[in-house]
Amino acid sequence: MRAILEFFNKGVFWENLGSYYQSGVFVYGTTLLMAYASLAIMSLISIRRYMKKNASVDYNIIVESPLAPGISVIAPAYNEGVTIISNVRSLLTFNYPKFEVIIINDGSTDDTLEKLIREFDLVHVEYAFIEKLNSEPIKRIFKSTNRAYDKLIVVDKINGKSKADASNAGINISSYEYFLCTDVDCILDKDTLIKLIKPFMDEEITKIKEIGTPCPECGYVHVKEDYRKVIATGATLRMVNSCDVDEGLMIRVRPPVKFLPRFQEMEYIRAFVLGKMGWDLINAVPNVSGGLGMFDKEIAVKAGGYDSKSFGEDMDLITRMCCLMKDNKRKYSVKYVPITLCWTEGPSTLKVFGRQRSRWGRGLAQIMSIHRKVIFNPRYGRLGLIVFPYNFLFELWAPLIEFTGILFYIYLILTKQINWPFAIILLVFVYTYSVMITTLALLWDQITFKYYKTWGETIGLCLMAFIEPFVYHPLIMFFALKGYFNFVTGRKHVWGNMQRQGFGGQRRKSAVKAG
Amino acid sequence: MPNILVIEDDDIMLKAIRNILGKDGYVVITAKDGKEAFEKLENADYEVVVTDLMMPYANGLEVVSRLRSDETKRNVGIIVISSVGNEETITEAFRLGADDYLKKPIMAGELLIRIRKLLSNKNSTSQLVTKKK
Amino acid sequence: MWKDLADLLFQAYEQYSLLPLFIEIALAFIFLAILSTLIAYGAILHKRYRAYVYEKRMAFISPKIEDMITEQVLLNPNLGYDIPLESIEFDPNALGDKIYRKPFVRQMLIDTLIQYRKNFRGEVGELLRKLYIDMGLDKDSFAKMKTLRWERKIKAVVELTQMDIPISDVTILPLTNSGIPALRAAARNAYIQLSKNEPFKFFDIATEPLLPWDQLEMFKIITTTKDIAIPNFSRWVSYSTNKSIVSFCLKLIAHYDQQSTIPAVMELLSNKDHYFRADAINCLGKLSAEVAEDKLVKIYNNQPLNCQIEILKALGRIASGKHLEFLKSEFLYSSNFDIRMNAARSIIRHNTQNSRLMVEELMEMTHEENQLIIKHCLNPLIKY
Repeated sequence: MRAILEFFNKGVFWENLGSYYQSGVFVYGTTLLMAYASLAIMSLISIRRYMKKNASVDYNIIVESPLAPGISVIAPAYNEGVTIISNVRSLLTFNYPKFEVIIINDGSTDDTLEKLIREFDLVHVEYAFIEKLNSEPIKRIFKSTNRAYDKLIVVDKINGKSKADASNAGINISSYEYFLCTDVDCILDKDTLIKLIKPFMDEEITKIKEIGTPCPECGYVHVKEDYRKVIATGATLRMVNSCDVDEGLMIRVRPPVKFLPRFQEMEYIRAFVLGKMGWDLINAVPNVSGGLGMFDKEIAVKAGGYDSKSFGEDMDLITRMCCLMKDNKRKYSVKYVPITLCWTEGPSTLKVFGRQRSRWGRGLAQIMSIHRKVIFNPRYGRLGLIVFPYNFLFELWAPLIEFTGILFYIYLILTKQINWPFAIILLVFVYTYSVMITTLALLWDQITFKYYKTWGETIGLCLMAFIEPFVYHPLIMFFALKGYFNFVTGRKHVWGNMQRQGFGGQRRKSAVKAG
Repeated sequence: MPNILVIEDDDIMLKAIRNILGKDGYVVITAKDGKEAFEKLENADYEVVVTDLMMPYANGLEVVSRLRSDETKRNVGIIVISSVGNEETITEAFRLGADDYLKKPIMAGELLIRIRKLLSNKNSTSQLVTKKK
Repeated sequence: MWKDLADLLFQAYEQYSLLPLFIEIALAFIFLAILSTLIAYGAILHKRYRAYVYEKRMAFISPKIEDMITEQVLLNPNLGYDIPLESIEFDPNALGDKIYRKPFVRQMLIDTLIQYRKNFRGEVGELLRKLYIDMGLDKDSFAKMKTLRWERKIKAVVELTQMDIPISDVTILPLTNSGIPALRAAARNAYIQLSKNEPFKFFDIATEPLLPWDQLEMFKIITTTKDIAIPNFSRWVSYSTNKSIVSFCLKLIAHYDQQSTIPAVMELLSNKDHYFRADAINCLGKLSAEVAEDKLVKIYNNQPLNCQIEILKALGRIASGKHLEFLKSEFLYSSNFDIRMNAARSIIRHNTQNSRLMVEELMEMTHEENQLIIKHCLNPLIKY
């Protein structure tokens, strides 16, 4: 999709100019289109496999079991006074037997903390913990005197200007071996913990070998297990904008009515269902979205936790966790679940949206430069040979190439060197192709669950694919470029503002942009 | 006949309990989540509350704790029915003041006997109930 | 007219073949893309339509099924009088309804019965099972076993297990070593629950590992199945080469509090794998194995951190009071936070006159951070 215009240019001037630029773009464009086609096929296989495997699973078993592993739910809150109570209540009602909910009040300037204290009978407790990850100092820790809320821990800390900082504080306090990272204003499904812990408990153990004769020291035949440790899991996100939500509980799912969030819903479905699920098949998931992800705490802590200076802290953490596993010669996997478990507020004004996307763009550029040692490095296996090259070439470079393509194209028109019929054919080609990919993503999405109640809602969303290339796509490109510009110039004031924004009014969520 | 409030988010189980208790002549009111339960608890008095643990809006433990901290409802008999089998949760339920804890799958006869016992205890020794708190 | 069309197509093809290659490819792809998009739309609509029809049917049939089960089972007048189940008969008219002959409805019936079985055991549970057999639904499940699609096989095995219908060893044993993990797990569970003579036999032969999720399911089945003979698990702890089975047995030993296995578990303390040793120490703690205490303290200094923490926890669980001084010195002099935390917790856990005095004493003599640890552990509001 990104390669539309490049491809297009290529056609126009193949015979006339045949320049290196054009051949380069031709190869680039073809590879990209092939990549999308293979992702579509891979994700279909992956989704069907998931559905088949879990069709007869009785998820309730983990609720009953004393063997269920503990999970810490970590949700930072910054000035959420209006909705905090119902959202925390909702977090406390997960279907899961062993979990704690850690709310981090990240130096809110409103009455978030006061409301929590009043509603849940909180008292200050003297809590001993060790600071394994860096964060701004914690002021106080609260627990409820009402035992019905004994799963709740509220942390009051000094504002660290980023979600990463607050999450790190939460991880420091947490006592279980897994943690779920989310935002306090996300609406989560009641079964989120069950569905996300399941892949951790299905760790693939492919081979067991007995090595030699019984060991003289202990009398056992040593057994070598070749297993892949699951280090993180994630699930699909959607827009909450037009859904009916009652006190933190999802009542009815609807695609957003407003155009901008509606485009985002389509984009998220494509990015998660087609992108993440496709990568899941070959164990090359690039990122677990910051809106919802479950992590193995030991690995995350060893990898250094979230980086509060990063603009894409979620992908940054996953990358570091993967590198850590590779450096220790251990096999790992990052799994995705094709079911929507989290609904988040998508920006509905251009201004906020733009800021979000510029931040993503900047984050991507930052990650690529920080972890540049990984790109094309065979030592990092799939991470170095698939995940990073793909993100580098087709996520990072796409807006740039697209932009230069447009400039080149304009130049051609001005100098009257264009072959119009061919140009139009190629344009139509890329257009129909992009519509097809998006429509397939929406179809795959229907396989897992019937989210929308009416036909109108479904078709209404599908039709967005037809106008996306003209309206939404140029916007994304523009803001991504703006993000890169900020990255290159590294302006300090943008830094502070962006961070605040990322945390305050509108949430930023990282989804890999598949289109 | 005594009023019983049954709180349970699984439709099948809710109907089943209603039918079983109804057969023995109890007046059964149902609620399928925490919110509805609190509303119904406000509006009427019940002798026994049978509650699930995990349900939307509120946890069953919250129901127990609210009943026990309310002067007027302190004497209501509470039976928790849940599939949760981990001991901490069970202890927590009792500590908050539940009278009984039945783990799913339950025996219908057992539920009836426990309700009968709760009701007779309440009538004979109101002291016991206050002590339990 | 046909000829005209053919001519036209031919001309179009000629034109097409004159185009440069990349334009030809582009045109072909445009055609393909439009076609796939249309098919995708068709599929979306079709899927929705099918879901719609299914919901409609459900809305009509499921109350019927529920009413029938309520009537025949829950409100069965013979229940509650200790009447033997065999002599309870269902109303043939209710069961014989034509609607229950449709495969779709029968499947729903099975699913609903399983739902009820998950909620009720005892008399009601048995009666549900009788209903399942009397309606011949077990034959449906067995038929499903014979299909080639593994997900259907799993469904069949799960249904039969839930309904407690015996499956012959010849059918189920080969499946316990299937290459498909999900099928393997379902078959194992079925074998344990349904095989009356030697439910744990496959512990001896299993070469494939037990995944954590399989362990959950198996744990449930072992602990909830009636009249299952619980063996002494030390057998596998001592002789199995399958690590996951040994660690699973350790959990079962703790659950059933099998004191007689203590010597076998203690053997594991010299195993090379430290995760394994940690599991064994944990198990000894849960068994309150006082005999193991001295050994644990003795080996303490040579252990990695995870085992040391498990030893401290175990000492708190065993709580004989003999090693309070050891815990105290660990608390006071260890540089590791987690060790101090666990030592403090274990001292407090003793909850004896001596230990309480010790806590008071420590509170006075130690530095601020350690005091905080003690306060943390003493606070009833904090669980961990």
